[in-house]
Amino acid sequence: MNLKNLAIILAVLALPFAMRPVIASEIWIFAIFGLGTNLLMGYTGLLSFGQATFFGSAAYVAGYLLKYYALNAFLALAAGVGVGAFSALLVGYLCVQRSGIYFIMLTFALNQLFYFTAYQWTTVTGGEDGMPGIPRPVLFGADFQDPFVYYAFVAALFLVSLWAMKRIVESPLGRILQAIRENEVRAEAVGYNVPRFKLLAFVIGGAFSGLAGVLYAMLFGIVPLEAIGFVFSGNVVFATLIGGSGSLYGPIIGSFVFIWLSESVSTLWARWPLLLGVAFVIVVLFFRGGVVEAWSRLQEKTVSWRFSKPKT
Amino acid sequence: MALLETENLTKAFGALTAVSGVTLRIEAGSLHSIIGPNGAGKTTLFNLLTGTFAPTSGRILLDGKDITGTPAHRVAHLGLARSFQRTNVFPAFSLLDNVWVGAFACSGSWKGLLWKKTSKYSKVGERARQALADVGLAGKADHPAREISHGEQRQLELAIALAAAPRVLLLDEPAAGLSPEESRKMVALVRSLKGRYTIVLIEHKMDIIMSVSDRISVMHFGSLIAEGTPEEIQRNAEVRRAYLGGIAA
Repeated sequence: MNLKNLAIILAVLALPFAMRPVIASEIWIFAIFGLGTNLLMGYTGLLSFGQATFFGSAAYVAGYLLKYYALNAFLALAAGVGVGAFSALLVGYLCVQRSGIYFIMLTFALNQLFYFTAYQWTTVTGGEDGMPGIPRPVLFGADFQDPFVYYAFVAALFLVSLWAMKRIVESPLGRILQAIRENEVRAEAVGYNVPRFKLLAFVIGGAFSGLAGVLYAMLFGIVPLEAIGFVFSGNVVFATLIGGSGSLYGPIIGSFVFIWLSESVSTLWARWPLLLGVAFVIVVLFFRGGVVEAWSRLQEKTVSWRFSKPKT
Repeated sequence: MALLETENLTKAFGALTAVSGVTLRIEAGSLHSIIGPNGAGKTTLFNLLTGTFAPTSGRILLDGKDITGTPAHRVAHLGLARSFQRTNVFPAFSLLDNVWVGAFACSGSWKGLLWKKTSKYSKVGERARQALADVGLAGKADHPAREISHGEQRQLELAIALAAAPRVLLLDEPAAGLSPEESRKMVALVRSLKGRYTIVLIEHKMDIIMSVSDRISVMHFGSLIAEGTPEEIQRNAEVRRAYLGGIAA
């Protein structure tokens, strides 16, 4: 087992004791969301400002099924993954027809379309009030109301998601998506149907987002309207960038920084988003690869400092 | 027997006819060069052959089968691979990963696309290494493509196309922007590929063309004005006029 995996497992074990288990759960949920977003953003080079579309749709559908039909937890998760993937298929199909700024605007506009649908459809979604009363399921006799038990459930699913994403990015698909990011024209010329591969990245990213959405709904017992809003889409892009897009572990670190700051600093200082803004500017100006890059550069520095001989 | 043929191939961009009524026959196993002054339509012809653009009219036949209008990503699977005039590689990838992407595309089976580790495709990896070795870059397999010299990038450009194990190799000015020394290496490389692949070569440098080609087609203002062996082309008065702008005529 390598060092990174060890660090992740230690973090999973230690986190619920270092902070409230609810916050710890939220970190891993947001990390799953980030993993899916990063497949598009970091690996395929597609900046999507509409990831909340998939997260929110899945949360609403699974939340509805849990609330009114007392669906089994695993079925609810499967439904969420399915809804996330399917909504990503619809949105992605339209978006991959365009590139650059037009692509970004399309993801954003379609997100708004979903948002206003949820906003208006009050009988189902509760509109501005959100969809409250989503139960945490009972599974194998374990009481998910206990925050530690639910944390364990979330953490396990996060580890499975991380493992699955690792397999995906190390597969031919992962390399082809990166090839598209590096040079779309050449990728097409050597024999890859570029729009089809972009769509596949959307669908997989959507499935991860959907899983995160359902876990989020179960965690807080409510689907707030914000869960499908563009600010939420921006947050996940933001967290992924801070952590380091294009690296498997970047979005996990980003999620930790983002959720931890927003939950802990916000109680001390109401203008905490200022801090995030500063962090964002620093990342964009100096560390395009986010915390992951900053860390590896720091390591290089200390190594070369330790081993460099003074010039004579 | 002709492996690749075009019949009256025409491409118009608005009022400009970039390729006009081109009928070509590329014999299997030959090295067929296409020459012509800048703007003669050579690269556009390549873009038509590889499906980047659909022709306005005319047909393209591969092995007797009509492939007109087939999109670029499918043409690659039919066995047509191209290199580009302007270096067109995957900059952040290692050289090996660059050619791997080309080798995997046409490897026949994409089983395990989402799941299997790239390192587990031993045949694809082997072919990728072979392609790098063919162009003399095996020693730099792990270097990132953006850090090698321009000359080496031109070799890599070619290796990506080779990795697909194509039936027809379309080379668009492989020696573009190379120093005389690098250029000599490239000629030797193209010559070493001769006979193993059917090659269509676009080139400006006359010494290269005359020394490696089996047949030469000359384009001028979108049309073919001559075709023949290097000796025949050298003697052709119309070609000299087109190329030298009347100085020799």
